[in-house]
Amino acid sequence: MSDVPQNAGYMVAAYVVTAVILVAYAVSLYRRTNQS
Amino acid sequence: MGELIAQAWIVARKDLVLEFRTRTALVSAVVFTALVLTVFNFGRDPTAVPTIDLAPTILWVTFTFAAMLALNRAFQLELENQALEGLLVSPLSRTSLYWGKLIANLVFVAVVEGVGLPLFVLFFDVPVGSVLVPLIGVIALATLGFVAVGTLFSALVIRTRFAELLLVVILLPFLVPPLIGAVQVTARLLGGRPLSESVGYLKLLAAYDIVFVSLATFLFRFTVDE
Amino acid sequence: MSLTQKGRWITVVALGCLAAVYVRALAFTPLERLQGPAQKIFYLHVPAAIWTEAAMVLVGLAGIFYLFLKDPRLDRFAEASAEVGTVFATVVLTTGPIWGKPIWGTWWTWDARLTSTLLLFFLYVGYLLVRGAVRDAGLRARYAAVLGICGMCLVPFIHMSVYLFRTLHPQPIILKPSAPSLPSTMLATWLFSLATFTLLYVGFVTQRYALSLARDARGGGSPGHV
Repeated sequence: MSDVPQNAGYMVAAYVVTAVILVAYAVSLYRRTNQS
Repeated sequence: MGELIAQAWIVARKDLVLEFRTRTALVSAVVFTALVLTVFNFGRDPTAVPTIDLAPTILWVTFTFAAMLALNRAFQLELENQALEGLLVSPLSRTSLYWGKLIANLVFVAVVEGVGLPLFVLFFDVPVGSVLVPLIGVIALATLGFVAVGTLFSALVIRTRFAELLLVVILLPFLVPPLIGAVQVTARLLGGRPLSESVGYLKLLAAYDIVFVSLATFLFRFTVDE
Repeated sequence: MSLTQKGRWITVVALGCLAAVYVRALAFTPLERLQGPAQKIFYLHVPAAIWTEAAMVLVGLAGIFYLFLKDPRLDRFAEASAEVGTVFATVVLTTGPIWGKPIWGTWWTWDARLTSTLLLFFLYVGYLLVRGAVRDAGLRARYAAVLGICGMCLVPFIHMSVYLFRTLHPQPIILKPSAPSLPSTMLATWLFSLATFTLLYVGFVTQRYALSLARDARGGGSPGHV
């Protein structure tokens, strides 16, 4: 059987964090533009 | 060219005369250096880690602090005496102005390093005798890099809020490449390695100096002119 | 369509592409046997790092052109690029440790990419702080240009010094985070991700630029940073 490391948790964490950062910035731009 | 140097020297002399007349800044910087070296001594376990391994880092962190102090001090001098306004009105070229400030800052830092190095050798029992000349060479190369960029940035922050803090924040990334070079070469020198092993880092330091002294000379006018 | 609307559309498309990248990377790209699923972080981490650096270069270039042309549009672009660069740097600096822990056993590794991005992050923060500390728009643009140009010129030195440090200090390398030649499916995913990040950069910068434009038009002296 393959001995691939079981570290999918880290992968998920990184993908989630990236999405959060990018979407949060997009939202921030949207709101700041609406305010101005 | 000769005119440029003469003008630069006028600017440098003014700053240096002010510095050495009061001597407070110089004494403070020297005492500070001694204190930092002392703190480093108590921060290590000499039985666990041989001094020689930590020595280059200790030396360079101390020198970096000293350079930052010098730049901040030069900056304070500027504010207190409103010297910059007076200089800008004068017919001095911006290049001479920058070079004058650079020279003054270099002299100041050189004096502090001149006291710091012997103290370092004394406190940490580091054998520098055989490598003194190359060591001084490396110190000179790295210091020129720090101070060249620092002098430019001092002029830049002078009209901003939180100026001294800003100076440190914007300067630190620029200190990293020359610091890497300086520490690595110092480590090799103190470890008795032949100079040929440090060639890459020495080229890095030299290239950094050439690029940033030229760049700072060129950009200085944009930080002072309307 | 106003600039803001264009920017928003591009961003929406880009985020859609990002979702597609996620699906492709997670479900349709093979596992790397040595590193396991965590290797897939590479598809986000590296494109983000590339754009972190590209954004800094663009800040510097905009600065050079601004000093000669004095066009405020260049300054607005630089401001936008710096802010977006900071966001991408944050992605790199968070995904890096999350990747590092399972692969290298430690949260932080001073590898070339992480170290460079960390320094870039500090450069960006310093740049944005200086912008925030200057009231007058013309002065702010000039100072920012000077700092941006210096930052851009620092990038090759960061690479050089980190490269020298890494090659002359062989670290125990168990796994290479990015294989020298990727199988074509992995390469395709990576290229798709790079294109997506490019689109994200364009969309974000366009919106941020429009924001600055709106604030300048209102006559606000606000530097426009959060």
